[in-house]
Amino acid sequence: MNSIPLIVRLATNRPVLIYILTAMLAVLAATQLPRIHIDTDPQNMLPETQADRVYHSAVETRFNLHDALVVGIVNETNANGIYNPQSLANLHALSQSILGMEGVVRPDVMSLATVDNISQQGPGTIRFEWMMNQAPKNAARAAEIQRAVSRLPLLNNTLVSGDGKAAVIYVPLSSKSLSYPISESLREQMDAFSGDDEFHIAGLPVAEESFGHEMFVQMGISAPLAGLVIFLLMAWFFRNLRLITVPMIVAMATVIITMGVLIGLGFTVHIMSSMIPIFLMPIAVVDSVHILSEFADRYHPGDDRREVIRRVVGHLFKPMLFTSVTSAIGFASLLLTPIPPVQVFGAFVAFGILLAFVLTIVLVPAWIVRSSEKQLANLKRLESGASASSLLARSVRKLGRFAVARPWPIIAFSLILLVVSIGGVMHIQINDNPVRWFKESHPIRISDQVLNRHFAGTYDAFLVLEHEDPDVVKALQVELSAQSALLNRYPGLKQVVDDLEVTASASDLDQIVMRLDDALFDANLDDEPQLLALMQAAERSQSALRYFQTPKGVALIEQLQGVLMDTGDVGKTSALADAIKVVNRELRSGQAADYRVPDSQPAIAQTLLQYQSSHRPDDLWHMVTPNYDSAAIWLQLRSGDNQDMSRIVDSVRLALEATPLPDTVQVNWAGKTFINVVWQDAMVSGMLRSLLGAFVVVFVMMTLLFRSLRYGLLAMIPLALTILCAYGLIGWMGKDYDMPIAVLSSLSLGLSIDFAIHFIQRFRDIQALTGDVRSTLGQMFEEPARAISRNAVVIGLGFSPLFLAPLMPYVTVATFMVLIMLLSAMATLLMLPALLRLLIRSPKPNDSGASA
Amino acid sequence: MFKMIFLIGLVVVSSAQAAEPLTDARSIVTNANLATYYAGADLRTETRMLITDAQGRTQRRQFTILRQDVVDGGEQNMLVVFSQPSDVRGTVYLVNKQPGEDDNRWLYLPGLDLVKRISVGDKRTSFVGAHSFYEDVSGRWVEADQHELIETTDSYYVLKHTPLDSDAVEFVSYTTWIDRTTFLPMKTEYLNAAGTVYRLVEALGVEQIQEYPTITHFRVSNLETGGNTEIRMRWAEYDQQLPDDLFSERSLRKPPMDWLKPARRIKQ
Repeated sequence: MNSIPLIVRLATNRPVLIYILTAMLAVLAATQLPRIHIDTDPQNMLPETQADRVYHSAVETRFNLHDALVVGIVNETNANGIYNPQSLANLHALSQSILGMEGVVRPDVMSLATVDNISQQGPGTIRFEWMMNQAPKNAARAAEIQRAVSRLPLLNNTLVSGDGKAAVIYVPLSSKSLSYPISESLREQMDAFSGDDEFHIAGLPVAEESFGHEMFVQMGISAPLAGLVIFLLMAWFFRNLRLITVPMIVAMATVIITMGVLIGLGFTVHIMSSMIPIFLMPIAVVDSVHILSEFADRYHPGDDRREVIRRVVGHLFKPMLFTSVTSAIGFASLLLTPIPPVQVFGAFVAFGILLAFVLTIVLVPAWIVRSSEKQLANLKRLESGASASSLLARSVRKLGRFAVARPWPIIAFSLILLVVSIGGVMHIQINDNPVRWFKESHPIRISDQVLNRHFAGTYDAFLVLEHEDPDVVKALQVELSAQSALLNRYPGLKQVVDDLEVTASASDLDQIVMRLDDALFDANLDDEPQLLALMQAAERSQSALRYFQTPKGVALIEQLQGVLMDTGDVGKTSALADAIKVVNRELRSGQAADYRVPDSQPAIAQTLLQYQSSHRPDDLWHMVTPNYDSAAIWLQLRSGDNQDMSRIVDSVRLALEATPLPDTVQVNWAGKTFINVVWQDAMVSGMLRSLLGAFVVVFVMMTLLFRSLRYGLLAMIPLALTILCAYGLIGWMGKDYDMPIAVLSSLSLGLSIDFAIHFIQRFRDIQALTGDVRSTLGQMFEEPARAISRNAVVIGLGFSPLFLAPLMPYVTVATFMVLIMLLSAMATLLMLPALLRLLIRSPKPNDSGASA
Repeated sequence: MFKMIFLIGLVVVSSAQAAEPLTDARSIVTNANLATYYAGADLRTETRMLITDAQGRTQRRQFTILRQDVVDGGEQNMLVVFSQPSDVRGTVYLVNKQPGEDDNRWLYLPGLDLVKRISVGDKRTSFVGAHSFYEDVSGRWVEADQHELIETTDSYYVLKHTPLDSDAVEFVSYTTWIDRTTFLPMKTEYLNAAGTVYRLVEALGVEQIQEYPTITHFRVSNLETGGNTEIRMRWAEYDQQLPDDLFSERSLRKPPMDWLKPARRIKQ
């Protein structure tokens, strides 16, 4: 403890050099800041190679799916709802404007103004036409559109709400990052529309991108505000502006250098890493407070300040190093989660904490050396005068007397609290939804509520069916190889036959059918029967591989749609079967009785051929692949909550266990709402792992630091109680366990151990002098307990500007930090003295040291 | 009457070949329409259509077209009988084209054993899922657009066509490159409201069939989606004296098998 680190010697000998070095580092780091790249895609919560994410991307490609904005027009006042000429004119104009926007995937924009109507015009006549190519001139035309939509299940309750009061435009985007600028430009246009329509923009992409935008703004507001609050608090504690500029400089330099390094190394700033400045700011000032307090305590005018500050830093070096390292470990444990943005966050906060430690032990001594005699005298007067009789000091003293006098009630109360907390932890609801990252009053939350009240849902997920049957191809191969003599006469044909693999799709077989067709034209008449037979065989195999064009395959889609609707959590499903049924109905009677899937594969194929004879033939490929070997069922969900999605996934799994699918068919999930569930599952298990990992590491460190198993265990008790209590409260309050809450677990561990370290370290120092537990504890509730309380207040209140943020994760972090600071300070100041009094016997002050 | 129009057409074609380029946009368009859609008195051809999406996934359609001109440049009959893929084999379209009016269209779906009249809301819908529209197959009515000759190059007449009723179509204008010798449109570009070319039709192969230069291979590309459809005509034969009664509703349920096979093949 007496060894004075070399770096502190350097700082006190060459203070100006330290200033220059720090300034250079900060400037260098600051040059990297403009390269910032914001990333709010929750998909990136999963590594790019994660299986579900890979599958989701493959499904997006397979069915040409894009991230989409959901733009809604609601009319609550008109008796006909949205079906009045004015509202439809607005819808039409807005659709046209959207079609002209850069970044919009025009062919896939879905709106009444861009889709087809299929209907009967007189008996025996079928008609394909635009649903609303032009805005309706009068109410009668608007009513016609209403009738048409009500007959088309793929549109009804998807493009227009079931109650007719709301319509939406689905705006697919070439890149999700465009959703914010496009939604902003749409909002401007919406303001210009006349009539009594309300306009809304919803959908996960816009929620995620708007979050990114506001996050960026918050980084610029919250971090400086947190700095301001800390500055004011310190000004109140120390009443000396010049004095408290040092910790502020340490904090600023820490934040700038850490963010500069993060950005400079090419990492993206994700939701979590945007909070790094806010986390570092309060943590960075804590060590300075310790040094300044102790220096004020020991320094007397006329002393060699260089010697005093070296002694102070030398003395505090170990506890400060340990608190910094334990906090860093708490954050670094996030590296154990399988979630890249959380790993980056943990690693850089850990880096920042250690950096703050280094900056503190060089900058504060340098500053002391450069200060005038008068300033240092001021510091002395203030510290010794005001603090010892302050409200804080008096309360802390009272607390101490209580803790020492009544250890058993405190322990009993703690045990009750422990049991209640465990009960709360059992009640924790794991849930998240990016839309809920906004406060309830936010336009995105409001739009989400309004549109999901009217519609079958603006959240989507996909249940994807895949069919594979190698036996079909193998059988064909056998048939083909039996005719090798024939094939040898047609080299082109033979080549494609030889190339055929068992994994062939219907379109691979098409090569054979095509060659056979060509061969038939050139063939001599003797070969014709054999070639025809082969062609029929190939065509039969081809049809079998086009499974989702067969009555069996389509029935399976319908069956799964039924399972999904039975869950009660799905607003609507849309799939190939619906398209087939509509066209079949309009081809036949137009009556509800014909709303069914025809019973042969050619009939289905021909029905779909008609579906494709529309303005939007490619819509079919959003529901099935051109090979008909994979089909997607679209789910519309009213809620994007992970819990609701998980329940649907579970229900489907159970239903499929009860009625298994054919061996040749596989079912998998995709879609943004589903991906959110996947990363959250990863987060929960990952967080538990990192929490336990950090717990073990910190425990080992404590045991080594105190060279005592008993003290090591003691140090872990307030911490364990704090974490259980905080999470118990979340459980009982019914607050969802979401991403920020999950991340805070390991961080709370890193922070709340600090108090215990300081408390036990000081306790043992003082006890070594007094030899008596009771009197030691009495002294503990003077300066040491005051420093702990002060730091709890600084950190807790330092996060308070986050309460003002419009983003819920920020508010959650602030609440949680205040809670943790309060709990861990109380646990340290009540439980530790109670336990120390009961466990440590006074006559043998050195006993504890021997047990290691 | 129609013979006279036909003759005028021939005269114009031969005079163009002589040397002097035409300067009148209308007569170029009229010639192009005749050369592309009215060559011969009738036509029988097998068509193979390969629809490819942006990912390179393909669908194939094969059908035989029987075409008969009632009036050159005017009324026309068409019978389209599908042979591939096997699931849609026997599907038949019968069209009685009436330029300037709604065509009469019938459809037979063997799988549903259903004859249906199709009421055409719009001729710019996809033809059985291809990137080509119904109008690309049957020809756009000459009077629907205003035509303007914007350039005459060594090989092409370049014309800009602006629709008279812009609400009825999805394009703002289109430009064609018409071969000065054959009057076949070798390239057509469609412009959208943003002024960008979003749709492209290119002739990839022209063959002399009997006395008629014929586009036997062309591609329609949707530049927005990145998909395209290649269409090849095989075994085309003009002037086969197709009987009138082929183009009646009777042919829907009972396609005239003899007329569907190429004459060459039958002779073998």
